[in-house]
Amino acid sequence: MKTLTFHVSGTHCASCKIFIEDTLNEQIGINRTNVDLKREIVSIDTTLDESQHKLAEILTEKIKHNGYSLSVEKKTRERKDNGVIWQALPIGLAFLALFFIIQKSGVLNFGLGGTVTPVTSFIIGLVASVSSCLAVVGGLVLSLSATVSQDKISDVKPMMLFHGGRLISFAVLGGVLGAIGSAIGISFTLTAILGIIASVVMIVLGLNLVGLFEKNLIALPSGFFSFFRKVEHKTIAPFLVGVGTFFLPCGFTQAMQVAALSSGSFLSGLLIMTAFALGTLPMLALLSFGSASFAQSKHSPLFFKSAGVLVIGLGAFALLAGLAGLGIIDPLFNI
Amino acid sequence: MQKNTIISIIISVAIIGGTLYFVSDRTTPSGTQSQNVEIRDGVQYVTVTAKGGYSPRTTQLKGGLPTKLIVKTDGTYDCSASLAVRSAGFQKILQPTGEEIIDLGTPKSGEKVQGVCSMGMYNFAVNFN
Repeated sequence: MKTLTFHVSGTHCASCKIFIEDTLNEQIGINRTNVDLKREIVSIDTTLDESQHKLAEILTEKIKHNGYSLSVEKKTRERKDNGVIWQALPIGLAFLALFFIIQKSGVLNFGLGGTVTPVTSFIIGLVASVSSCLAVVGGLVLSLSATVSQDKISDVKPMMLFHGGRLISFAVLGGVLGAIGSAIGISFTLTAILGIIASVVMIVLGLNLVGLFEKNLIALPSGFFSFFRKVEHKTIAPFLVGVGTFFLPCGFTQAMQVAALSSGSFLSGLLIMTAFALGTLPMLALLSFGSASFAQSKHSPLFFKSAGVLVIGLGAFALLAGLAGLGIIDPLFNI
Repeated sequence: MQKNTIISIIISVAIIGGTLYFVSDRTTPSGTQSQNVEIRDGVQYVTVTAKGGYSPRTTQLKGGLPTKLIVKTDGTYDCSASLAVRSAGFQKILQPTGEEIIDLGTPKSGEKVQGVCSMGMYNFAVNFN
């Protein structure tokens, strides 16, 4: 038994520690892996006879798909990261400004008279996906997708599950609303609280994407991130988040829920809500699969940081608006 | 590097300032008596249109009169359709097209009734004085 230490690169998040330790401990002949994030050092106890250089290669093979690598000598880490945030800040803010200007311009406020058919609800879905609802639902999708693709490169399974969950819940719950009629009252307070939870999650993930936690400026218990990591690995979690978007505060969703409610049958309620969810799909799919493909490009640090800035802004907006909606603070916005 | 940082900060501040200027309210409260107010049989009716926000944003009313708030919708599917008027204990998702009459009771002078959409991004106020 000997103890070896390696330098590790690519550890960008607190949850990386848990991931590397778990992965290396699975290897035969390796015990007590310990990752020191601050010093970027991995120490292991091993009974294997290979040289330290050979071991570094073998172990890197196990974790390189996730963007980490081990080396005996400390790699001089390119410190281009520092400059990236200064490029990302204006980019993120520019998208944020674009969002507010679109809302304020009123181009989204066209009327759709008459009864709601699946066709009109599809169009309403298209509009909703770029409306103020984007602040909550879109921001959540972007922050989760960017976080997932930052940790696990090129894995679109959680995103497929998320969108699947969203479509299925809209279809089924829309049908239920149509069948039961007014029996389900969708509580204002409940949706507002969910919206506030979503915006807090967005802000935290946004800060993480920007890289504030990385440099230990803010010490969060690593349990928080290990929770997220577990959530990512579970099949059910992204699916449930998708289902949950049915209840997130969004005026368009609520109007469609009322339309489904008054439609009078399971099938018509299902059609209305499914068409609405399909209408919102292009924009949301663009956000989530866009993050996945950006994550693989060479601009990924810029993308993650820009997305982080954007998500923090949307999250702060949704949080303040949500608190105003609950009557806790005076409304600050009227866009 | 230092230069880029400064440029970045300048651009960021410009974007934030420009957006705040664009988004902020520049509507000045107009006149003392608003046009959307009608008094019938001693009851004061105030009409607010809900579509892509609420208009008018603020209404001045006389205090001490029984008051009813009429919220009109016309093909409204956005957030303004899900209205909460907390002081009146009113929370409802309005029909896309129609009128909703909300009883505000008899507010005294100096009171303020505020309506917010469920996401909190649209609001309106009725002031009594």
